[in-house]
Amino acid sequence: MRSFFTHAPFRLYLGLLLLAVCIVVGGILPWLAPGDPLVWYSAPRNQNPSGAYWLGTTSLGQDVFWLLTYALRNSIILGLIVAGLSTVIGVFLGLAAGYAGGWLDRVLSFFMDALLCIPTLPILILMAALFGGQLALPIVGLLLVVFNWPYPARQVRAVALTMREREFINVAWFSGESSTRILIRHIFPYIAGWSAANFINTVLVGISTESALAVIGLSSAQQATLGTMIYWAINYQALLGGKYVWIGSPVVAIVLLFIGLFLVSSGLSMQSAAKRMSV
Amino acid sequence: MISIDNVTVGYGTAGFITAVDAVSLTIGSNEIIGIAGESGSGKSTLMRAVYGDFSTGLRIKSGTVTGRFTDAATGKTIEKPSSQFRDLWWDQISYIPQGSMSVLNPLMKIEKQVVDGLPRRERGSSRRELRARIAKFLAGFGLEENVLDAYPHQLSGGMRQRVLVAIAAFVNPRLILADEPTTALDVVVQKKILLMMVEIQRRLQNTLVLVSHDLGVHYQITDRLVIMYKGQIVEAGRTADIFANPQHDYTRNLIASLPRLHGQRAVDRVGAGA
Repeated sequence: MRSFFTHAPFRLYLGLLLLAVCIVVGGILPWLAPGDPLVWYSAPRNQNPSGAYWLGTTSLGQDVFWLLTYALRNSIILGLIVAGLSTVIGVFLGLAAGYAGGWLDRVLSFFMDALLCIPTLPILILMAALFGGQLALPIVGLLLVVFNWPYPARQVRAVALTMREREFINVAWFSGESSTRILIRHIFPYIAGWSAANFINTVLVGISTESALAVIGLSSAQQATLGTMIYWAINYQALLGGKYVWIGSPVVAIVLLFIGLFLVSSGLSMQSAAKRMSV
Repeated sequence: MISIDNVTVGYGTAGFITAVDAVSLTIGSNEIIGIAGESGSGKSTLMRAVYGDFSTGLRIKSGTVTGRFTDAATGKTIEKPSSQFRDLWWDQISYIPQGSMSVLNPLMKIEKQVVDGLPRRERGSSRRELRARIAKFLAGFGLEENVLDAYPHQLSGGMRQRVLVAIAAFVNPRLILADEPTTALDVVVQKKILLMMVEIQRRLQNTLVLVSHDLGVHYQITDRLVIMYKGQIVEAGRTADIFANPQHDYTRNLIASLPRLHGQRAVDRVGAGA
């Protein structure tokens, strides 16, 4: 573990630092909130940043700082769950399709291709209209999983297909190892690194898609996410009223989170490339 | 040990492409059998049918391949067709595949790959004990212990091939099928590996089936020789007899094509019926 950190590229440190900040703000600080920051008029309205209200207050009388911690928490949880489920389902079904082949491959490939062809955001907007204008967060998450598992599945299937024909897989088979064991011991190591990168990418996709949905007012307004914060800020003319901190803080949080995730992802791939090159 | 009775093997799901055509052969215990023939003559397909690996679309159209083995634990005799050999793999039978460059997993250290293939009875001992045994076994092949901690790309082709032979022989199988184990290696390394395989066979008193298109290899080490041509066995017998008195035209051509130290080699025609 020590050598992992001493030789890491700079961007990995920076990314980890940014992520650590986001996780502290979104993961720990919400527990310390003085009250539920979602409640309207729990603070004076339209305050500028001050000692009592670090980032000021909203036009609805909410403390922006504590609201931001709640929003960040919900967005991160959503992103992690969407990415986790999509990656697990995608890797599992992709391996199954690629390694087993036959009718299973044809059925799974059909679903992957079909779902890959459908654009996600328009479908989410349609679904939101269907559910009376707003989607609860769990439903948004579920839909995002449905639309995001085919990406890893398609790629993993391709890897599994080439692996199946490799001679050392044959040898493992000859030596009497079971198919499950071959999948876990011989094929999975080939897709593990890629899956990690894909996981981080899907976190980004999950958070950004939900934010996009929220900004146009179709995600849950009952729960704070980074997107809904922007939505309320826009609705109350925060820009015109000069309340830049209110609308700016979720935007900055999203950007920092994305930069952090991106730097970690590319830093990790640089790290593994460097490891590959050293004999 | 293995009796192959009038077997026809081939590939294809819709049609049927015959690769081995009505072949009969008996493989006894404690002998080295060589199978020679040109590329596409059905040597490897026959090996796969004997090993019982039907995962690649291989099918037995007619005839039977039956094996008789003695169970190491109970001492009972097991007799079954090759399609049910799977639980004997890497226990009673092991297989050294063609092409040493790609048969080891590039992401796994050698030690892990040796241990992975072992049957459960071999894995009983502790990890360190097992490692010591494997290291000792590899030393017999002229490989140092640090080979166990290497990845395949850190080894030379000859070392990899020796590792492969070692993996196949470590479980003390009764039958080793070696499919061109020395192709793509230089003659010195080739000879070393062949001698090693003979030594293992003499020590274990088991059976070695060696597929090669190099008659020189067969001449050096095999007891019996089988010549295949176009999916059929055209000649079989004691290696010395075949070299002294080849019966089939194709065999005669094969022998004639060997390089000679003195005089000219007969290179006029290639193929049977020439």
